[in-house]
Amino acid sequence: MENYDKLLNDLAPKKFSKLGVIWTSFLILVIIIGVIAYIDQLIKGQVVTNMRDYALWGIYISNFVFFVATSFVGSVAVAILRLSDKKWRTPIVRIAEIITLASIAMAGITIMIDMARPDRLLNLFVHARLQSPITWDVIIIPTFLAVSFLLLYFPLLPDLAILKKYYEKTSPTASKWYGKLSLNWTGSKTQKKIQTKSIKIVALLILPVGLVLQTIDAWLFSTTYRIGWDSTNFAPYFISGAFVAGVGALITVIFVVRKFRHLENYITELHFDKLGKLLTLACLIYLYFNINEYALPVFTAKKGELTHLDTLFTGHYAPLFWFVTIGGLLIPIIVLLFKKGRKPLPMFFIGLTVVIASWWKRYVIVTPTLLHPFLPIQGVPESWHHYFPSLHEWLITFATLAAALLIITVLVRFLPVIPIQRTAEEQDKLETEKNTK
Amino acid sequence: MRSLLKIRFVYFSLLLIPFFNGIDLNAQEDEQEKNSVGLTIQYVKIMDGDIYFNVKATSKIKKQFVQVSDIDLFFFNDTDEDRVELGKMTTNAEGKGRFSLKNINALKADVDSIYNISIDFLGNDQFEETTEYLSFKDVEINASLYNEDSINYVTATLTNPLTGAPIPDAYVDVQIKRMFKSLKMGEEFNVTDESGTVIVPIAEGIPGLNGELTIEVVLFESDDYGTVKAIINAPIGKQIVDESTFDERTMWSPKNKTPLFLLIFPNILIFAIWGIIVYLFLNLFKISKN
Amino acid sequence: MDKNKTDSRRKFLDKGLKLGLITAIGGIGLSKLATKLTAQTDQNSGDKMELMTTDGTIIQVDSSEVMEMEHTPKHDNSAAIREGMPNRKFVMVVDLAKCKNALKCQVSCNKNHYITGDNAWLKVYKMQETNDTAPYWMPTTCQHCDKPACVTVCPVDATFKRRDGLVLIDNTRCIGCRFCMAACPYSTRVFNWSEPNQGEITLALDMGEEGQHISSPEHAGMPSIKGTVDKCDFCPHSIQNGELPHCVTACPNGVFYFGDKYEDTVTNGDETFRLSKLLKDKAGYRLMEGLGTEPSVYYLPPVDRLVDFEDGLEQYNEFQSVEKPE
Repeated sequence: MENYDKLLNDLAPKKFSKLGVIWTSFLILVIIIGVIAYIDQLIKGQVVTNMRDYALWGIYISNFVFFVATSFVGSVAVAILRLSDKKWRTPIVRIAEIITLASIAMAGITIMIDMARPDRLLNLFVHARLQSPITWDVIIIPTFLAVSFLLLYFPLLPDLAILKKYYEKTSPTASKWYGKLSLNWTGSKTQKKIQTKSIKIVALLILPVGLVLQTIDAWLFSTTYRIGWDSTNFAPYFISGAFVAGVGALITVIFVVRKFRHLENYITELHFDKLGKLLTLACLIYLYFNINEYALPVFTAKKGELTHLDTLFTGHYAPLFWFVTIGGLLIPIIVLLFKKGRKPLPMFFIGLTVVIASWWKRYVIVTPTLLHPFLPIQGVPESWHHYFPSLHEWLITFATLAAALLIITVLVRFLPVIPIQRTAEEQDKLETEKNTK
Repeated sequence: MRSLLKIRFVYFSLLLIPFFNGIDLNAQEDEQEKNSVGLTIQYVKIMDGDIYFNVKATSKIKKQFVQVSDIDLFFFNDTDEDRVELGKMTTNAEGKGRFSLKNINALKADVDSIYNISIDFLGNDQFEETTEYLSFKDVEINASLYNEDSINYVTATLTNPLTGAPIPDAYVDVQIKRMFKSLKMGEEFNVTDESGTVIVPIAEGIPGLNGELTIEVVLFESDDYGTVKAIINAPIGKQIVDESTFDERTMWSPKNKTPLFLLIFPNILIFAIWGIIVYLFLNLFKISKN
Repeated sequence: MDKNKTDSRRKFLDKGLKLGLITAIGGIGLSKLATKLTAQTDQNSGDKMELMTTDGTIIQVDSSEVMEMEHTPKHDNSAAIREGMPNRKFVMVVDLAKCKNALKCQVSCNKNHYITGDNAWLKVYKMQETNDTAPYWMPTTCQHCDKPACVTVCPVDATFKRRDGLVLIDNTRCIGCRFCMAACPYSTRVFNWSEPNQGEITLALDMGEEGQHISSPEHAGMPSIKGTVDKCDFCPHSIQNGELPHCVTACPNGVFYFGDKYEDTVTNGDETFRLSKLLKDKAGYRLMEGLGTEPSVYYLPPVDRLVDFEDGLEQYNEFQSVEKPE
């Protein structure tokens, strides 16, 4: 019991430290600035961006793809690890579920920012054409949102009930809210049965739904004729990219949460070691697909392909391309092959680099292709031959990233970031095993 | 006495002032130049049909040609005795118009069998009045279709309607009526022979709606006869086959014609998955009720 | 006690499943209802009316297309506008041997559609496949493809393919996602990134037959709407008056031919040819045939050129296709 009390004390949500308040205020500030920029965009039109008729999609879309990719972490950390019955996943699943929910929610919002006529949003439902990949997107995103919510909520119920009791004396209001959200969880046999069955179903569901989500995201590009997009490789390429982005985000967030909540006893170096190996696996698979996507076309060197590859390898986008490939892919693989590289601090930097590189990788996927269409770019102002996001685009994009971080921050603040009930059960099991030996 | 003379002088002077004013006004009119209107008239006669005059009114204002819209034009038939008014026509927004008559019998020719038409524009604030003259003789075209050695031919004979005399050396166009411009058949110049006849072969395989072709035999803007058209409706066209995919279920159809495969499988998947999601939400409900 | 629990559980499951079923069916029913209420019927009245245009041409018009002078609700017309003229398939032929970049086509198109942006709908490209092959001027419009990629990807049916071959845009439906622009391989679509300042257009709209400021897919750009896509429409507003599209009439060199493929006839206003013969004699081809878009625009190769390529260089402006007022 002493152990259990300690467990509870360690894992129960605590009030924000000063740093936490500053962090949250900073995020809110960034969001407010972004909202102001967006209102300006609504009034003046998307002319406030630097998108024009050739670079017709820009960082709003690449940001959207980034959010969709990161949301894959739920499928990985919960479903794949569960299917392979990796016991070490327990402390990290809740954070993974939180990241997934935040990412997919922001993906839905980000794509609406790119619509030039958001006042006609309902047309997407009333006049929906099933033939269009965007309609498939409109269907899959709410679906994935619902499933990832359920993936977070079902396992949360016992923990919410525990927290209700925990705060009964110290914070009665908090206790009341936890109680309401716990849906009268008593741990009864009936409830447990329903919950176990539901978790099984939802964990099974999130993997195919997650795969379909990444596939449809890729098909938004590969259902066009454009060179650099018209690739049969795109769907698995995006899936493996999502694997990388998701695990990278997971590592980064886990490091920060572990540090600020002093959870070193629960998320140990073992976990980082395992996550490091998982990230290495993800990067190796992603590297394989990158080779197929970028190296192989050099063999036949079709004119259009060569133009595209030239801009990436030696041309205007070369610095970015090599940064995301070497910095975001090759270096992580090399560093993580060593045990020292899989220690928490180096892992944090690797994870952060992977996330940043993932964001810029999607920029490298979206923009260069648009700037070398089939017919030459003529008859338009010189500035239309280039694209770099405008101030409005940056402010709005930062706001969406801040909003995602804010959702994660709020959920981490109020929810137990490590499943209490499950951890307790596992510790009990270990105790009984030890005692019976 | 002197005062009376003075008064009369003043009185007469006063009477003269309006005339001076009048003279002044006239001078102003001379200075204010009105533009002149050019009328292009094309006389058209349809065999066994009506006759009409296509009018185009233009004016050169500031070195540019402009359409003159919304002006009234009065048509007259000038016979040896008289100037008979035929009617009135107003140009449209593009300065064009058409004045129709039922047939040529509405007109009277002069002693030389020439029909004389004059068109009056009475002028307005902007434009000067003008009269345009047009003269033409009547001619008949008898056109028919025949088939020889599985080639279709159109034969057309031009005759003087009064004497029946043939009209040789006339340039005739034989063309198929199409949506925008007609498709010419035969040589660049098809000339009538001594018997006033011209024979033109019709090319094979020309498509027509329901296999129908409208063939026009046209004497186009001749100096003597104006434009005369004979129309033959010939069922010798190739049937038009509509290749449009509008009625089919395709990937580019509107949503009421979605391909069946897309309609069935994705919907089954969606309903299955959302069925499970709804079931799971119900489970939450069940847990809270327990 | 247990039996009661089992019974209540059973009852619960029963209620729950029933509720779930009703929700699902209700959901399907509601969505079907919504679809029906807003569906475009694909019927047209079938009645034809013979009308005489102001220059004396007799045309046949579907009677549902004839609008009275007072305000007609959009609903009545929209199905007919989306279906187009029956038994027609409009095509264009561009004779590259005659084009010398006079750009009168572009100027006329810009003027008649009140194009005020920075990207014209009709662009004359300076083309040269490789250093060994001849350079030439290539006017491109929307190709009005028979397998239009743009229509396939539109999520809201804002762009559509008609029976008569035209691909048009409903600017009141477009949500501005620009997927159609991404899908088009001919880069022919333009976007209204800001409020289009078409100043004088309001005058034209007031004087026009419609008398309404309603945008119609059949006269693109009248007016252009912020946040939506625009492109060449093959001028259905002219076709309905028996007139050729503006670019065809404006070209001083007779480069553009236009007509109905089912009539096998195209004309540039002066010369009229049988389409099949023209394509056969002059080896006509289509742009990017290998992509399978089935465009409605044919090109005649630049052989036996009437003019030198260099004569067009003077008019060439790499960075401008729409003249702006000083």
